[in-house]
Amino acid sequence: MKRNLVFAAVSLMLGSTIPLTAHGQSAGGRLDDAGTMDKKTVERVFPSKPIYSPYAGRKFPTRPLFGDTHLHTAASFDAGAFGARLGPRDAYRFARGEEVTASSGQPAKLSRPLDFLVVADHSDNMGVFPDLFAGKPEILADPTGRKWYQMIMDGKGADAAFEMIMSFSAGTFPKQMTYAPDTRAYKAAWQDNVAAAEQYNEPGRFTALIGYEWTSNTGGNNLHRNVIFRDNGDRANQIVPYTTIAPLGSDNPRDLWKWMAAYEQKTGGSVLAIAHNGNLSNGRMFPIIESFTGRPVDKEYAEQRAKWERLYEATQTKGDGEAHPVLSPNDEFANFERWDFGNLDASAAKTKDMLEFEYARSALKNGLKLEAQLGTNPYKFGMVGSSDAHTGLTAMEEDNFFGKTTPQEPSPERATATFVENPKTGIKVMDWQVSSSGYAAVWATDNTRESIWDAMQRRETYATTGSRMAVRFFGGWDFDQADAQTRSPAMTGYAKGVPMGGDLGGGPAGKAPTFLVAALKDSLGGNLDRIQIVKGWMDAKGELQEKVHDVVWSGDRKPGVDGKLPSVGNTVDVANAIWTNTIGAPELIAVWSDPNFNAAERAFYYVRVLEIPTPRWTAYDAKRFGIKLLPGTPMTVTERAYTSPIWYTPG
Amino acid sequence: MMRRLLREPLLHFLLLGAMLFAAHGILARGAGSEPGRIVVTQGQIESMVMLFSRTWQRPPSDEELQGLIRNHVREEVLYREGVALGLDRDDPIVRRRVAQKLEFATEHAEAAEPSDGDLQAYLDLHPGVFMAEPKITFRHIYLNPRRHEKTLASDVQRMLNELNSPASAPAVSDLGDPTTLPLDFDKATASRIKNTLGYKFWKTLDQIAPGPWTGPVESGYGMHLVQVSERMEPRIPALAEVREAVKRDWLLARRLEAGERSYRKLLQRYTVAIEPPRLARQATEAASKGPQ
Repeated sequence: MKRNLVFAAVSLMLGSTIPLTAHGQSAGGRLDDAGTMDKKTVERVFPSKPIYSPYAGRKFPTRPLFGDTHLHTAASFDAGAFGARLGPRDAYRFARGEEVTASSGQPAKLSRPLDFLVVADHSDNMGVFPDLFAGKPEILADPTGRKWYQMIMDGKGADAAFEMIMSFSAGTFPKQMTYAPDTRAYKAAWQDNVAAAEQYNEPGRFTALIGYEWTSNTGGNNLHRNVIFRDNGDRANQIVPYTTIAPLGSDNPRDLWKWMAAYEQKTGGSVLAIAHNGNLSNGRMFPIIESFTGRPVDKEYAEQRAKWERLYEATQTKGDGEAHPVLSPNDEFANFERWDFGNLDASAAKTKDMLEFEYARSALKNGLKLEAQLGTNPYKFGMVGSSDAHTGLTAMEEDNFFGKTTPQEPSPERATATFVENPKTGIKVMDWQVSSSGYAAVWATDNTRESIWDAMQRRETYATTGSRMAVRFFGGWDFDQADAQTRSPAMTGYAKGVPMGGDLGGGPAGKAPTFLVAALKDSLGGNLDRIQIVKGWMDAKGELQEKVHDVVWSGDRKPGVDGKLPSVGNTVDVANAIWTNTIGAPELIAVWSDPNFNAAERAFYYVRVLEIPTPRWTAYDAKRFGIKLLPGTPMTVTERAYTSPIWYTPG
Repeated sequence: MMRRLLREPLLHFLLLGAMLFAAHGILARGAGSEPGRIVVTQGQIESMVMLFSRTWQRPPSDEELQGLIRNHVREEVLYREGVALGLDRDDPIVRRRVAQKLEFATEHAEAAEPSDGDLQAYLDLHPGVFMAEPKITFRHIYLNPRRHEKTLASDVQRMLNELNSPASAPAVSDLGDPTTLPLDFDKATASRIKNTLGYKFWKTLDQIAPGPWTGPVESGYGMHLVQVSERMEPRIPALAEVREAVKRDWLLARRLEAGERSYRKLLQRYTVAIEPPRLARQATEAASKGPQ
């Protein structure tokens, strides 16, 4: 009943800077020594390969780390209101692969651990309680306070707390202790979240990044950002999170960026922000005209946004944000887990003119245009996916989906219940529309806060809709077909190009950029249907264009006369919620060169990988609970990944 | 209607106020909160300044401080009026929030540092939780089934023969099909291997003793020739190796116990009468079986 009420917000983004060193050809050099050497000797002394072991000394990431940059726990006001009981410690334990008891009372466990997690509770109204327990002089000055403090120090904190509660209710609470200003309450909740991250952060095995969500939601229009720290608790504890209510906070992202700058300046730390759910912003997420001023986005906006928001959360439970069928009518895969009814609280319906400013692909395109005008591209972001779950459970596998909110944890009713309904606007969203998505994949060299954050900052990331497929993407001027045949394309990729998130400047005259792309299926997931490269560019007339290229696909399918590749097929047995990997390919690798390259035109290229169809979470619910779903409920899903783009800028 | 109400800024103010109720209202008992009179104390102003300073890394300007104070007064007025109207009662969200806060207070009472004895006892009681995973060092050569459809068996045999004859062993990097799978695993944990190559592959690999090249081993990706060079068996670690993890779990266990204990104690202050639910038949049956 109350579940349709509150509705939280969510989001993500990341970024940092550390150039990758590909393993270098460093053993060359001149032979100044006198004497003669024949060719054979020279080759032995100065082999063409500088080091025998191709793996020695290599510094680039060898496997993607999977995680969630956007998970709420009971410390989030709305999550608690929905009945979530799991706190940040439970959330970390679950993400690390331990079994926990969900708020609905059922056991929950991931199929395999994740590598990292950001608990991103809402900063507004974050859990409140005064820290009576810190041993302040005022408390110690009072005999009762001193007694309680001693009990706490002796490990009897719970008993002390109990006595305090009794004392409150009896009206005998010591006066000296009643000063507690409400600010301490706020601080205590944030510090407890920080403490939980410190406890569960285990470099090399599991990373707990410190973060929170700034939930700008004026008028129900979602401008949420997740704020993620590179730093440890010593720095994070020096501040309190930025909120949205004036005069202390603000709902304008420009003010958030100022707060981020103040944090970095004061503490010497590093922080980034990831926005999400442009689809619920009603045209405000990627503006050309700023909603706060009604004026065109200016140079300062562009520079600040580009600086602080290096990533965008392109897919999550409240819908997919890569592309929209109205904006990309020729993209047959654009219509995916679509949530385009209106804004976050369904108080205002969507109109078509809003879409352009809501989806990642159109924002990447508009960014090219703004860059030409302002000198900086405000929308030069990479991609991640994340859950935005409000359950403390980052459970985004279709066969193990624990919903977005506590009432959506597995039950026979959840697939047929109503999530949001607004009679005034006529908007109704059903729980079956909630998407079991997604995760963030990060090409970090080590599983540490610093390494993951740095990979985010350099945008070497991709979004998945819950799959753990591995996706490589490199751009350069010299990739050739043989590079797709080596045993380890990644080494070639780093040696000859830039990875996802990188830049291509002016290339050799007359040459088109080449791309090395590879995808490896999730070891538990469906096979791969195809790899696509999505190109967006600004043509000579200043018009923005896009084209989706099928680059490599499974089997021996041939594109039809219309250029479309035939469907990979479908092996899903919906009634039994099973499928087979008899179609598709476990791995796809290719080198692709842009056939329509024009060196004078700004462009971006990103990769989309599609799996074969597999059962959607609704199919597992129907089978396991023996229920009949509502007409129109989709029962299969085409899981996918979106990489950060590689940008080409005329030199 | 309820949803709309919840979105009202007014209600947000009221909820905020309600949240302050436990933290502040109770504490301020007897601090002279006359009805019809609002005093913004110096302590409260200091706390506003502190919160601002920690947010912005600088103190507020006079104007900003005035804004904070005005906001505080506004909230206080609305809060008192709301409470007078009983808007805090019978609201599931306020109820839940207040209960949550009490739980937070009892569970988050800092426990004393555990001694080594405490931790050793905890470790002895839960050895499985802290058991070090088996680790395997191995390398593999990937064979894409689509490239060896008819000839897999003979290709495998030929490659194994070559790999295992020291005189003519080819460079490992020259064999196998292109893949982005990692090829060398150095003291890789069982979970890492399962994560990368799948459970089925791990089950087979786990049975292979260090020695020559062998296979094929099947995974979700295809076939693999495998050479295991080292195995480290699972074992119960010494406390020193896992002290932090044991301490973390010990603290968590203490915290949950504390919360449960304090609930039990509070519950003792009440007699609870539950009328028999008029529900479906199963519910009645279930209720009649257990004590509650």
